[in-house]
Amino acid sequence: MNRKRFYLVISLVLLAAMLSSSMAAAQEKTKVVIFVGLGTGTAADQITRQEALAEEFNATHDDIEIEFLIVPHEEANTRYLAMIAGDNPPDLVGPHGTSTIAAYLDTWADITPFIEAEGYDLSDFYPPSLKLNEYPDLNTGLPLGLYPSFLLYNVDMFDAAGVEYPPSDYTDTSWTFDELRSRAMLLTLDENGNDATSPDFDPDKTVQWGFDDSWISIRGLLAAFDAPNVGRPTTDDYKTAVANSDEWVQGLQWFSDGVWKDHFIPSLEERAAYESAGLGTPLDGGLIAMFWSHSWYLAEMREVYFDLEFEMQLAAPSFNFKGTRVARIHADNFTMPEASKNKEAAWEVMKWLSAPEQITEVCLIYGCVPARMSAKDEFSAAMGEAFPGLDLNVIFDSIDYLDTPHHESWVPEWTKVEDTMEYAGGLIFTGENTDAKAVLDEANAEIQALLDEYWAGH
Amino acid sequence: MLKQFDIRRWSLAKREAAAGYFFVSPWLIGFVLLTLGPMLASLYFSFTDYNIIEQPSWVGLDNYAQLFQDPLFWQSIKVTLQFSALALPLGLLTGFALALLLNQAIPGVRIWRTIYFLPSVLSGVAVTLLWILIFNPKIGIINQLLALVGIDGPGWLSDPYWSVPALVIISLWGIGQTMIIYLAGLQGIPTDLYDASKVDGANAWQRFWSVTLPMMTPVLLYNLVLGLIASFSYFTQAYIASSSISGGELGGPVRSTLFYNLYLYQNAFRYFEMGYASAMAWVLLVIVLLLTLLIFRSSSAWVYYEGELRGRT
Amino acid sequence: MATKTKTEAPTPAVLKTGWRANLKYYELTIKTLTTFILAAGSFVVIIPLIYLVSSSLKDRAQLRQEPLNPLPIAQVMVRLNNKNEALYNVTIDGQARQMALVKKAPGGKGIFADPAAPDVTYELLIADQTPVRRLEVHWENYPEAMTVVPFDRYAINTLLVTFTGMAGMLFSCSLVAYGFSRFRARWLGPLFIVLLSTVMLPRQVTLIPIYVLFQRIGWVDTLLPLIVPQFFANAYDVFLLRQFFMTVPLELDEAAKIDGASPFQTFLHVMLPQARPALVTVGIFHFLYAWNDFYEPLIFLHSRENWTMAVGLQTFNALYASNTHLVMAASVVMIIPPILLFFFSQRIFTQGVVITGVKG
Repeated sequence: MNRKRFYLVISLVLLAAMLSSSMAAAQEKTKVVIFVGLGTGTAADQITRQEALAEEFNATHDDIEIEFLIVPHEEANTRYLAMIAGDNPPDLVGPHGTSTIAAYLDTWADITPFIEAEGYDLSDFYPPSLKLNEYPDLNTGLPLGLYPSFLLYNVDMFDAAGVEYPPSDYTDTSWTFDELRSRAMLLTLDENGNDATSPDFDPDKTVQWGFDDSWISIRGLLAAFDAPNVGRPTTDDYKTAVANSDEWVQGLQWFSDGVWKDHFIPSLEERAAYESAGLGTPLDGGLIAMFWSHSWYLAEMREVYFDLEFEMQLAAPSFNFKGTRVARIHADNFTMPEASKNKEAAWEVMKWLSAPEQITEVCLIYGCVPARMSAKDEFSAAMGEAFPGLDLNVIFDSIDYLDTPHHESWVPEWTKVEDTMEYAGGLIFTGENTDAKAVLDEANAEIQALLDEYWAGH
Repeated sequence: MLKQFDIRRWSLAKREAAAGYFFVSPWLIGFVLLTLGPMLASLYFSFTDYNIIEQPSWVGLDNYAQLFQDPLFWQSIKVTLQFSALALPLGLLTGFALALLLNQAIPGVRIWRTIYFLPSVLSGVAVTLLWILIFNPKIGIINQLLALVGIDGPGWLSDPYWSVPALVIISLWGIGQTMIIYLAGLQGIPTDLYDASKVDGANAWQRFWSVTLPMMTPVLLYNLVLGLIASFSYFTQAYIASSSISGGELGGPVRSTLFYNLYLYQNAFRYFEMGYASAMAWVLLVIVLLLTLLIFRSSSAWVYYEGELRGRT
Repeated sequence: MATKTKTEAPTPAVLKTGWRANLKYYELTIKTLTTFILAAGSFVVIIPLIYLVSSSLKDRAQLRQEPLNPLPIAQVMVRLNNKNEALYNVTIDGQARQMALVKKAPGGKGIFADPAAPDVTYELLIADQTPVRRLEVHWENYPEAMTVVPFDRYAINTLLVTFTGMAGMLFSCSLVAYGFSRFRARWLGPLFIVLLSTVMLPRQVTLIPIYVLFQRIGWVDTLLPLIVPQFFANAYDVFLLRQFFMTVPLELDEAAKIDGASPFQTFLHVMLPQARPALVTVGIFHFLYAWNDFYEPLIFLHSRENWTMAVGLQTFNALYASNTHLVMAASVVMIIPPILLFFFSQRIFTQGVVITGVKG
């Protein structure tokens, strides 16, 4: 072997060694897989923006690498459970809300040790938002975003009917469910142009309704009436069912009468008119004068806002029969499966996503209000650009009235209780049974049976 | 020792059996390697309390005993039977009738066949979304047409009394595949059988009864058995329809479309009762298997095979 | 047996011309009637598809305004004071003009303004005016639907899964079906029932064990779970092929056997050519299944670059997103290949089986 060739071989070997060591260094990056699909985050533009977010993170971190695993919503629960059972768990799951966190409560890791270990500062988060993730012996995740609820209304319909607008001022105590009802009836029209207060009104030919609050669970509807356990159908010890509380019965009867007696709320069949195949939503289809919904609904309207043929505005939710106000809220965050093999790294990523530098960017992908008070101005400015003319204070003011216990909060046998409540709501909105007391008594008995069975085994 | 494996020394029957096992071996190998394990696992789960997250724990026959006291289990059986009683016979008959029409030598028959096959090309999700539009009580074309003749149409998918019939209509729309199987069967009938029967002076009606129908019985048997399995395990369209209609009550409105498999799915992936769901699955398997065996038993009386093996088995 | 009558059938030499004319007339009536029924029925079949195509050519606003109009008609809008307003043909003092509806007012009235001179407004009854509408076809939905997600990448995966799977399925299923239709053995009957029972067990309860199995052998996030099982036959196609094989007369086998053919040669040269319509049928069915299946790919394919088109299409149906027009456009694209395949495979399909009976 001549000397030239010898050096060539040596340098090649060295080069190879350097390459492989640098590759090994690259491989040492811990990979954090973020499972997206139980909540929002699977729309095409969201996928692109999440990938940009991942690039941003990976470019600035040497030790951790993140990857968004996108799973279409319909199959996400099956896939999540398959991954857990197959010992191939994701490291973070989200963004998702209280309901899925409650449904899969047994699978989450407690992040309290991480918070305590480094004394992580939580003071910037809206205090109520911290409560949403706290369970008796579990903190499921750092707050990320909130979706406050409020009224969205069609200004042109109010003008056309000559009805006073609902107030944006949260101190206006004259704005009650009774007041909402009487204005909504004036805004409900049949095809001959008669409103719901007119003796000639034909409820079979309604073309426009004064009010609706669909796209929400029945617990969510009833939380507004401020029963002792607000949005939860059980007592604090989760042992007694209270789904037939006076407040809930009164509230559900208000909805039942609204559909079948006063006709200002669409029935299940009538709701199909705007819900067909996702074409048009309650408000932007021009069928509803007032719609109670969340900021995620507003986010969905981002692309159609400028094409709306009517002017839209936001207003405060009404006061209930007890003279209080509960504006239910939704909250999204990332949770960490107990089965994750990279919890330390997952905690770093969770912190990064909720950090002051990123939280607004992350929240704008998903359409939620950042859970950090310091992000309010930055977020308001971005929202103001997307929705010029809207009174955005209505959104932030609503946070003070959120529902605790929450309408999606955990109860034993969460999904079975949920399905029982949805069945009860189905009876009302299909007209199978319009008596709220009877419907909720039956639901309460079913829930009690579920609770008894659960506690017998625990 | 080795003589045992010398094929030349085997009896004729043994050789035939060996050839038979050889031909079915691709399935047999795949069954043992890929299918049998998961099936036995689910059978085991059916005797356990298994929430997927934790290890299963043995509970014996508890799941099965609990099933028969569960009102929702009976509701799901009722819904499934309602659907099957309508969809199965209607599907078998319409598919056959359509295939007979499309087997005529009419101009543009390939285009007609393509048109009638079109619906089965669309996937379950897109189909259901389109039909939700068509069944829309206000603006949907069905109720608009009914209104023209003075009928106030029902709420279809959002009406508990009409939701199952609406799903039957959707399933009938997609009978293209059944129709194609019949058509392939009709195409497979040797033309000389018709020629012979024509010569014998049989008219079209007699030819149908003496040639077409007997020759089609193997295909009828296939469509009957598969139709039975499909209608008892009906899932996708009910899932999408009920979760898209207001409220998103799975199996709604008011549990009127709580099909057997939908309730099973809820137990498996919503209630985390995989053990209970597995018990439901095996009960379904036994029911469908018994019905299938019944059909096969009866088939010797009504199915005619040109190439049937008779005698020793 | 019916086949045997053929060989000794005399050619019907004497046929009355009247009978023939009658037959022609009769056949013509049948054909006309058939065409009429088919045309009427096709109306029902096609309506949903018209919606599919028309919604794929609309934009969001059109879908919202008139979701069920088969034509992509759009209300003409004009920009006025930074807002889009609907344009109407209005009559003022007997003069026809085009004006924008600025705002609705009580009593079914509206405030109208000329876009050229927006300061002057008129209050008119909306019902008396006609909105200006025009045909507006949004072809760009198609390229958009195809680029929003990497459909070219998905198309390659889909074709790979579909065609390798189809080859494996045709090979294995025809062998197995032949085994179940032509041989006598103690366990073949019971095994056939076992085969059928594999599709009677709802797949929801085997999903987790299958996932765990594939995870252990390293198949998760590869295309293998979608392809390899096809080489081991499936109940649907085996059963269908078996039913067809059993209609093929045994005499053909016997003849081949006498000629010294092995069972495999008989299968290859006698059975397969006879069962061509059935093979094409299961081929088409498999294509459709693999083409549209999103359930299994979704569970087993993690990385987006491994997805198939059906899975990609599913992401359009995302929570809270209203991309209906794009979903419909993608759906239209998705159904074109299967339709073409079906249309052209009919040539083989309809040749049918004309040769039967034992020749020679």
